[in-house]
Amino acid sequence: MKRLAATLLVILAMTPLAGAFADGRQEYKPPAQQEYTPPTGPAPRTASGKVDFSGVWEKPYVPDMTRDGKGQKSEGDLPFTPWGEAEWKKYDAAEGDYTGACLPFGMTRSMNTPEPMQFMQSDKYLGFLFEQNSWFTVVPIDGRTHRDGIATWFGDSVGHWEGDTLVVDTVNFNGKTRLDTVGHPHSDQLHLTQRFSRPDLGHLTYEVIVDDPKTFTKPWKNVRTLTLRPDWEMMEYSCEENNKSLWEGRIKVPKYKP
Amino acid sequence: MHATRFVIVALLTAAAAPTLSAHHSFAAEFDVNKPVTLNGTVTRVEWGNPHIWVYLEVKDEHGVVQPWQCEGGAPNTLTRNGWSKDSLKPNSSITIDGFLAKDGSKTCNLRTVKLPDGRSVFAGSSAPDAPPPPKR
Repeated sequence: MKRLAATLLVILAMTPLAGAFADGRQEYKPPAQQEYTPPTGPAPRTASGKVDFSGVWEKPYVPDMTRDGKGQKSEGDLPFTPWGEAEWKKYDAAEGDYTGACLPFGMTRSMNTPEPMQFMQSDKYLGFLFEQNSWFTVVPIDGRTHRDGIATWFGDSVGHWEGDTLVVDTVNFNGKTRLDTVGHPHSDQLHLTQRFSRPDLGHLTYEVIVDDPKTFTKPWKNVRTLTLRPDWEMMEYSCEENNKSLWEGRIKVPKYKP
Repeated sequence: MHATRFVIVALLTAAAAPTLSAHHSFAAEFDVNKPVTLNGTVTRVEWGNPHIWVYLEVKDEHGVVQPWQCEGGAPNTLTRNGWSKDSLKPNSSITIDGFLAKDGSKTCNLRTVKLPDGRSVFAGSSAPDAPPPPKR
């Protein structure tokens, strides 16, 4: 019987799932997602010899940056200041949910989403193309310093190399975003450090360090593994297209002070 | 025979695995303390970002047909997982397990959609990622 079970499993593993329930019903199409094995090999490099992060990447979904998950390691409870603790305690997404209202996710929540992202890289820039809301941010990585512009949802990012690790430093946030889906807070003093390395062709090691002296007594971090998906293409994602929940009043726009 | 049954159960479990959506906080719109089961007939499916919507007619306790609407996952993720708008046709009988909207309307966040033979379609909602009870 065990042999029969093993044989059936092998047969099914070799059979596309679309045929597993081949009963002729057109309306049923089983899920295509199965165990995925990324390509193997050394990390690719650009013509100038830098590690090349270009490609479409599957990211772990991180709705709560204080909890561990598949492909993501947290540090547990956050070291709140009294101000940060108060901001966390009073947060109620039902009173206003900026992502539900299709406002920009900001850097950490864009990296946290389950939708994939694509990196496009040159010697001067690393482009972050997020499928979530079809948003993007372009980061200079040629060693220049921060611009002195207006505060923004994604902040102002610049990158530099530390050996084979690309370090992206981001400041000048507008303070209107949340760090994650459950709503952990930050202030306009947020300083993010994102460290990208590529141990091999199929994987990217991502470390995000949150430093915000108004909200936290000390910096803390998440470490994640992204997986290369050469079998995926980025898809359009219009947040506004059919956002019924907002139009019908179940999701509210936060009231920001001008 | 047991082995066959096991394999089928395993496949059904895989089919029911949730897809994810992070467009909005679950708690912004739905009440994790108000689970709901709806038995009804599909009237239409909307396949657009940021969420798919399944519209159905459900008989209430008085036998009166009431229109309901239930939010599913993001079409992009569902498409990558092999689903399409045609995975569920109008007039199909379905059972939805989900959570009610906080505003009291006939709106739910669908956790599973099952056909009469027990198979699931559109595995996908943000409910599996509903925020845990806040650590306060």
